[in-house]
Amino acid sequence: MTTAANRRTSVNERGVEYLTPDPDAFRAYAREHKQRRLISKLMTERDAIAAFVEDGDYLVYDCNYLQRGPASLIREIIRQRKKDLWVGAKFTYVALALLVQAGCASRADVGYFGSRGPVFSRAAKEGRLQFYEYSNAGMTLRLRAGAQGASFIQNRSLGGTDGFRHSGACVIDDPFTGSPTVVLPALYPDVAIIHVQEADVYGNARVFGTGIAHAETALAAKKVILSTERLVETEEIRANPGLTSIPWLAVDAVVLAPFGAYPGSCQGFYASDAEHTAEVFAAMTKDQLGEYLERWVYSVEDNSQMLERRVGETKLLELRNREVIREGYPS
Amino acid sequence: MTAATTFNEREAEVCYVARLIEDGRTYWVAGGGGPMYAVLLAQRIGYAPNAQYITEDGAIAPEPMLPFDPIQTMVSSRAGYRALQWGTMNVAQDYAALGLIDYGILNTLQVDTHGNINSTFLGEYPDSGRRFGGPGGADSIAAMAWRTILMTDQQRRKFVSRVDFISSPGFLDGTEGAREAAGLPAGTGPWRVVTPAAMYDYTQDRRLRLIAVSVWTTVDDVLKECEHHPVIADQVATLDPPSDEELTIYRTELDVRGQTSDRGSWITWNGEKYEQMEDGA
Repeated sequence: MTTAANRRTSVNERGVEYLTPDPDAFRAYAREHKQRRLISKLMTERDAIAAFVEDGDYLVYDCNYLQRGPASLIREIIRQRKKDLWVGAKFTYVALALLVQAGCASRADVGYFGSRGPVFSRAAKEGRLQFYEYSNAGMTLRLRAGAQGASFIQNRSLGGTDGFRHSGACVIDDPFTGSPTVVLPALYPDVAIIHVQEADVYGNARVFGTGIAHAETALAAKKVILSTERLVETEEIRANPGLTSIPWLAVDAVVLAPFGAYPGSCQGFYASDAEHTAEVFAAMTKDQLGEYLERWVYSVEDNSQMLERRVGETKLLELRNREVIREGYPS
Repeated sequence: MTAATTFNEREAEVCYVARLIEDGRTYWVAGGGGPMYAVLLAQRIGYAPNAQYITEDGAIAPEPMLPFDPIQTMVSSRAGYRALQWGTMNVAQDYAALGLIDYGILNTLQVDTHGNINSTFLGEYPDSGRRFGGPGGADSIAAMAWRTILMTDQQRRKFVSRVDFISSPGFLDGTEGAREAAGLPAGTGPWRVVTPAAMYDYTQDRRLRLIAVSVWTTVDDVLKECEHHPVIADQVATLDPPSDEELTIYRTELDVRGQTSDRGSWITWNGEKYEQMEDGA
């Protein structure tokens, strides 16, 4: 039985469908499936996506295609032509467009997504894409609720908006203050993909710089794939445990992915590729995402082949050299 | 301060907002662009040397290394440079929920007479019209910062009586207590709207009110660019044009690539008065 098949959805009185928050179902899943032993979870991006992303899954990626996001894993999902994904679309400029163009995503809980170009309106008009409305922090709060094993979370925003009307949120009388308050359903994604700067082979991971919700996302999701710029020895993790923000307990797969956030930036490691950023935005605007995907995804076998054939060492070195700030990042 | 003789209307808008920045206060700004520049300008020129800002990726009081690459206004080493803390989106929202954020500054697509903000959909949601990206962090800012400053263009299609879709809350339907009844924190809400041509506040009964216009325009010209007519203050002030001192910092330290001014029209002093050039002139 697949994760998606085990998952239930609810429809509220406004007719809005949302993923049913079910902490006990998550606990039961965690009891059976989350690996307690320290065993290596190192695998290729192809094996990780094949094993852990199923058609129909609710997918959350942390950050996005252009900012320390799991860009190589997003491309692999597209390459493997996954279908009917429900996407947590917060703080994202490009990835949702790629997933919709490729026929991978059919639903999106919106915080913010880059909306340029005709791909979204066309998919919505043809009934291939359904939006639900939240906000960026509304989505990260839902993940926080999942990460603390709860079924809902109080939210001091979203109330009174039209987004609220098209969300799974509701207003209740706070049992302690008596005041009306918005509560959001916890989000337990089926699968999360997260790019980190450093991890060991078990999935103990470090993230440097500002971020969105990597720790909450890793804990709330049933299946978790990390891609990491660099593998570090577990002895190094033990030497500075305060830096660990994602524990091995949460993680199912670790993919070694230098330049895994390309064309995005990865703080402390490399700058974004501004030309590529312009190229993908132009592809969205001019309705040429099909060509974009052919060049950057379908015509190459994996991320290292894409970097070798489509980007090249000179460019990669340039991007490393352009990331000049050292303060706060690993040496 | 010396009044500048040639500048872009968007540069003027940032200067207007910079002059509103209060020293010793905290700001949650939309990453990059006018809102962030306004706080940095106020810090560097000395209007508010101890104002601090955060962005929704949890950059807490950064001293950014400008300029940024395209889109890299958040979750990038330059945007988060020399911050006092690196947090996450939930950290930013927590600080606002706790009442630690005095002001939010936002760009917006469409604003209405009660200060409601649309960044989701123009037309009839969900099928008939044009889809935009959604509220992003703006809903958290507009709901939980004590006061919200909006930056937008002075165009009829942007100043409407009722936004097509409330993405982020203003005073909602304008009735007293509407925000609190919807679950939002008490005592918060819209405070100013700033455009290149004008500045607005809100009346006691929570309606948009025109309080000032730019030196090169008139109340009548501003009203032509409002689909609904706002309340007009008894005394409509004239906004001082940007100063050379402001523009020097703005152009050499902040928007060094001129990204603000590659759209919008230019204003020049012709020896007698300020004149607005055609767009792109």
